[in-house]
Amino acid sequence: MTTSVKWIWPAVLVGMCLLPLGVGIYPQHVLIVSLFYVMMAASWNLLAGYTGQVSFGHAAMAGIGAYTSGILAAKAGLNPWIGIAAGTLFAALLGLGLGALCLKMGGIYLSLTTLAFSQILHIIIVNEYEVTRGTMGLQVPGLIPEYSKLAYYYILLAATVLVLFILYRMIHSNLGLNFRAVQNDETAARAVGVRVLHLRVLAFTAASAMAGFAGGLYGHYLLLVTPEIPSLDLQFYVLAMTVIGGMGSFVGPILGAFAINILAEKIRDYGEYHVLVFGLVALATARFAPEGLIGVWRSLRRRPAR
Amino acid sequence: MKRHGKGMAIGLVLALAFCSAAWAQDTIKIGVVGPRTGPAAATGAAFDEGIKLAVEYVNGKGGVLGKKLEVAFEDTAGAPDKAASGFERLVTRDKVVMVLGESHSSSALAQIEVANRMKIPFIVVEAWADEITAKNYRYVFRAGPSNSGVVNQTIAQWVKAENFKRAFVVAENTDWGIGIGKLTENALAKAGIPYESMITERNSQDHYVELTKIKAFKPDVVLAYIYGVGLHYFVAQAGETGVSPQAVVLDGAGPPSLWPDYWKNVGDYGDLECFVSSMHEKVELTPLAKLFREAYTKKFGKAPTDYKSRSIFDGILIAADAINRAKATDAEKLVEALEKTNLETTRGTAKFGLTPGGPDYHQWMPPMLVIQWQNKQQVVLYPPQAATGKLKR
Amino acid sequence: MLAISVMNGLVIGVIYALAALGVSLVVGIMNVINFAHGELYILAGYFSFLFASTLGMPFAPAMGLAVALVFLFGLLIERLLIRPTYGNDMYSLILTFILSIVLQNAFLLIFGPYPNKPPLWVRGASEIFGLFSYGNQRLAALVSGAALIALVFLVLQKTWFGRIIRATSQDRAMAEWNGVNTTRLNMLSFGLGCALAAAAGVILSPVFPVTPTAGVPIALTAFVVVVLGGMGSMWGCVVGGLLLGLVENLGAAFISSGYKNVFGFLILILVLLVRPSGLFGRAKL
Repeated sequence: MTTSVKWIWPAVLVGMCLLPLGVGIYPQHVLIVSLFYVMMAASWNLLAGYTGQVSFGHAAMAGIGAYTSGILAAKAGLNPWIGIAAGTLFAALLGLGLGALCLKMGGIYLSLTTLAFSQILHIIIVNEYEVTRGTMGLQVPGLIPEYSKLAYYYILLAATVLVLFILYRMIHSNLGLNFRAVQNDETAARAVGVRVLHLRVLAFTAASAMAGFAGGLYGHYLLLVTPEIPSLDLQFYVLAMTVIGGMGSFVGPILGAFAINILAEKIRDYGEYHVLVFGLVALATARFAPEGLIGVWRSLRRRPAR
Repeated sequence: MKRHGKGMAIGLVLALAFCSAAWAQDTIKIGVVGPRTGPAAATGAAFDEGIKLAVEYVNGKGGVLGKKLEVAFEDTAGAPDKAASGFERLVTRDKVVMVLGESHSSSALAQIEVANRMKIPFIVVEAWADEITAKNYRYVFRAGPSNSGVVNQTIAQWVKAENFKRAFVVAENTDWGIGIGKLTENALAKAGIPYESMITERNSQDHYVELTKIKAFKPDVVLAYIYGVGLHYFVAQAGETGVSPQAVVLDGAGPPSLWPDYWKNVGDYGDLECFVSSMHEKVELTPLAKLFREAYTKKFGKAPTDYKSRSIFDGILIAADAINRAKATDAEKLVEALEKTNLETTRGTAKFGLTPGGPDYHQWMPPMLVIQWQNKQQVVLYPPQAATGKLKR
Repeated sequence: MLAISVMNGLVIGVIYALAALGVSLVVGIMNVINFAHGELYILAGYFSFLFASTLGMPFAPAMGLAVALVFLFGLLIERLLIRPTYGNDMYSLILTFILSIVLQNAFLLIFGPYPNKPPLWVRGASEIFGLFSYGNQRLAALVSGAALIALVFLVLQKTWFGRIIRATSQDRAMAEWNGVNTTRLNMLSFGLGCALAAAAGVILSPVFPVTPTAGVPIALTAFVVVVLGGMGSMWGCVVGGLLLGLVENLGAAFISSGYKNVFGFLILILVLLVRPSGLFGRAKL
């Protein structure tokens, strides 16, 4: 680490703390949603970007967190914070189970299994409407007695910092080197003694827990939990943000989540085309700049202006 | 690492730039929420037409508080989460003083929480679940049908009047469907009519298995509470599997039987189907209804069919009237003005109930009709004083 | 109840098989899962609606043209998106996943959210063995779907092209040594896979009208069938498709109609747990 770097992260954090103060309620809402997506994209990136496991069940894990906590709070009157902890734990357990189930399968099979998991969850939520209220949406209590966007912003910001800190430590430790090894060359990683299977399951469990945590918070912010949280559409946003920001880089998904959410609001003024537009942006990025915005930024810096 | 930090800084600048939006205000804005996409997107189109006519009508009469009335229409896609965030967007971004509309009960139930929290008057127009007004929220009104109103005043009365012997209730898995299904079962039980019921998925395209179960019960009337194009599949497949014409199928929502693609989707099986509606070409309750029909035909070059275009028209008139009487746009004054509403609309004189404790609080129930398609012509069957013909089997 | 459920299972099963054949072909030859398979099915439905209902063409040429156009579109997708990703099957999965969302939203923009239904080939319904009444269009879908599957097998078994496909999906390196131009074969088989999705689409869209997002369940079921039958196995597709169609419809009739679609995904996870190579798959993973 160079000295100039030391102040950058604290500066960004201070900036993020000051950011919502000067703006209206609506931009605050957009920022809160962005923070949720930062957690989702950054943790999905641990799977897809660092261990090569393209999971389609990440949104489903957020749904597990949101529904666990939401049902406990709405039906059993449990404190939402305890509910969120329970949701995180449940998502971690399911992540462990799914990760172990997919142990022997690689690539496409893992993607299909996570896809099936997310669909089964969706069908259960829709059918068990007496518990989950299905597509009608479950009204859940808030995290704080007096509703305030600003308070939610700081809660989500603290949660995001926590998630990012854990991810950063995981990636930049010995463990992290191993993660990369697993992605780059499985056979070679195995040969040098990296326990590939354990690492994969570990990554899957950790990422699922983070998604469950983010989903629980998000549900108690929206005050309404619907099957839109564990949906393929939300999964698409997470994937697109990661791909556009830069898969396999730490900052990429963070940047992608903010850029896409803010861009979506701008496009919304011109009609309901924003999903199409960032679908196309994501497609172009994935095809022509597989390392995303971060990759473009790096190559621009490497090549000084002529 | 250093590069990463700079990337974050750029993101921060981007975010700040976006947050500095400002706008001027020389009109009075109200918001409309409704599904422009999703399974009942046609309702959004009907709302659009009603909004255009209502805004022209109100501004032609001098607008509101000397300013022009403007409507911001937010899509809710028939999804509660989009509905709630759309409602919030209208209030926080578009700065509307009042919101009205909605056609899905589950969406409306999510929205009334936002209305209550943000203290914004909300006139529900076409979401029927009793809970919407039964929650007795101060800021929530309904100028339109409620489930219990439709069942007890219209559908159950019609079933008794036609002397049906066995009924089957099919309800979609939403607040509206489950609620109106239960109310119908209660009414049938009270009337001593044997019945059975099932819940179905509103977006399902294949009802063969369910229809086989229905056929086995041998009903002579099927009360179908499916809103959206799902009803078209149900009606067509009821014909294919031979459930109809043995049994008369009633569309308990109405508009799907009036949408432009109804006949394309159901073919010949659409004839003799019944539906509820608050509008019929030969039944005009007030002079305003006639005016609406003429203005609609002139503007869109066709006769109005989907009654929800008229429901939102009425809603906007009620809102404009309340703003003018309140002489202000703050929520408390608007609620007081709304509570004193006594306004002739296309469906009769609008007046909100004020007795707290039940679904009649802040509720105005317009009269509904049961209509049957007979050779692609609409024939009113119920109530008897408005009937233009008899049930055909 | 039993009779009509079995009948329904057969009709739906044939369509599942047809949709899955396209996925299986592409997996067998290229080891690529096309996530946008369902959207191509929908695209063909829209084309056939456009030609037959809007432009007034007779339904048969309209269907043929629709399938041909989707075939060309498939070639284009292969050339622009899939070809650069060979050797990285995860990346093609991500690309086609994004493509499927892009297509869904493009459909929404172009055709609107309403379901569109090409004209029926036949109207009315028939009494089947005096047991139950069944829509004639569904019967027509069953017959034409079965005929098309038979045709696919005939081509695979009897023609020179079919032999190349079978050889390549069995041993790619050997096929290359024997002078098969695999780049061109990839492009062609991807196009054919898309055309099979399109064929299923034009056959079924008069029964189940197309909407922008209706392709998602089609694609998901096709994946289930392909895994159930064994990746790349054509026979597996047919058996798997029929089996799934029957299980779903019997399950809906006798267990729960709400959980109709859960059976397929449960089967998928079970198969992967117990016999990952599927019913007819080679035990290679």
